[in-house]
Amino acid sequence: MYPPDEHVLRDLRFTFEHSVDGRTSRARLPIVPELCTDRGTARAGALSTLVDVIGGGLAATAAQPNWIATADLTLHVVAGAPPGSVVEARAEVLRAGRTTVVVEVVLVDDGERDVGIATMSFSVLPRRDVNPDMREVRGSGPTTMATEMSRLRAPLPDALGIRVRDASAGIVELPVTDWSRNSMGAMQGGIVATVADVAAEHALRAASGEPLVVSDLHVTYLGFGRVGPVRTRADVLDVAAGHGRARVQIVDAGAEHRLMTLTSAVATRGLGS
Amino acid sequence: MSRQEEYAGSEDGRGVSRYLRVDLREGDEGHMVGYAPAPAHLRGPHGGVRAGALLTLLDNVGGICAGLAALPDGWVVSTNLAARTISLAQTGPLRIDADVLRRGRNNVVTAVRIHDEGAADALVADGVLTSAILVPENGPPHHRRPLVLDAGPPPSGLAPLDEWLGVRAVAPDAVEIDLADELRNPWGILHGGVVATLVDIAAEHSTGGVTTDVVLHFLAPNRVGPIRAIARSLGTRSDGEVCRVEVRDEGGHRLTGVAVVVARVTAQV
Repeated sequence: MYPPDEHVLRDLRFTFEHSVDGRTSRARLPIVPELCTDRGTARAGALSTLVDVIGGGLAATAAQPNWIATADLTLHVVAGAPPGSVVEARAEVLRAGRTTVVVEVVLVDDGERDVGIATMSFSVLPRRDVNPDMREVRGSGPTTMATEMSRLRAPLPDALGIRVRDASAGIVELPVTDWSRNSMGAMQGGIVATVADVAAEHALRAASGEPLVVSDLHVTYLGFGRVGPVRTRADVLDVAAGHGRARVQIVDAGAEHRLMTLTSAVATRGLGS
Repeated sequence: MSRQEEYAGSEDGRGVSRYLRVDLREGDEGHMVGYAPAPAHLRGPHGGVRAGALLTLLDNVGGICAGLAALPDGWVVSTNLAARTISLAQTGPLRIDADVLRRGRNNVVTAVRIHDEGAADALVADGVLTSAILVPENGPPHHRRPLVLDAGPPPSGLAPLDEWLGVRAVAPDAVEIDLADELRNPWGILHGGVVATLVDIAAEHSTGGVTTDVVLHFLAPNRVGPIRAIARSLGTRSDGEVCRVEVRDEGGHRLTGVAVVVARVTAQV
């Protein structure tokens, strides 16, 4: 059964709603303190996980009878979402071609204010027996993966087991656990974005001396992280007053340092909530 | 006679690639290097090379690099392009390095970086190009390997990029061009670099800033024209204004591209 009882996608307490025609989906994420940075608003990585789940599900539906692999995810955050608010992700298929699916996800808060915008693209692959049938998950009304017991018990980076090895070099490390695996047995795509977020935040704070928070992520997925530990390295590209940019590489150190993702990140001063 | 037709009739050749004057050299497997000047006609009002021109260089060199990686199965079309401009003031010449990160069953991912050889090799732009592998009707193009392409001597007196493309403002948040033959790629559709440039100019027209970061998804080919780019502001941050830009083929009645752009306000440049 996926996800297992103890899983990040249950503990985030999403609710989902899918249109019958398979062109749009919505998901709502209640913002809790464990999802926020020390500046008091939702972490870009947490929002990326929301985007990845709703965008991936919609793309898989659009690609039927084939299956998909996430090629890239881009998120731009324009307003902070504080604890107690709810971020709604509204996903729409922009293109469903023979080889590629493109999905756009608009993020708004409970006051209909823009929180951010995301785009994802997917490669279309032949279906395998292990791939779920998306017709079974679409249809009637809101659903959730959360159980009564589901909730985050620690800040998201701590719950993932992220350890900072060298803040200025953006080197962080974490294990691949069942709590954060996707249905293919690899680290879930939104969680990979969260790891890049944490690495970039450390590197850019060290370089700037300012408490910057990551507001943009462009994640290019190149390979799975199945073994672990997963390790990052960040190169700061530039720093100016109030913002900075970095490139983050993530490798699966337990799988001969196979390159998993290349991420380009922007950090800015805290976004108003 | 349009500015492009005037240019096409000259000895300098025709088309977007020649306007940019990129020399290409194939390196080790999966590596391509391009060299381009940073002339006045590629520069924007802020004095630096326009983001649209940098994106066109990324698309051009990254696209050839990806295409060679796709051989012998097929050739490629760009599906999305993401880039951040690091340095807004360049001296030139520019060196464009493209490296294949991944060659999959139906796409190629290429990392592309632009350095300023005239400014101690400073990083100018950092990007990633994703291309889909297709099998052209008449087969993939044939290139002698290792590939070497020389653009020829630099032209003089070319019109600035926006003027050369014939960009016109049609609303406070929208710009438009006609689909002239000289702006089409070998497949007969609007060159991807021109789409990127239109996105850049629409964002600058709408915000009054300078485009720094662009993520552009090519959704469908632009075949008919006019081609319109419409910008919508999403919010302002400490690094600039964020806007969504959509590109439409007005004659083809369809959405052909979507981008998210960060434009730095002039005071920050």
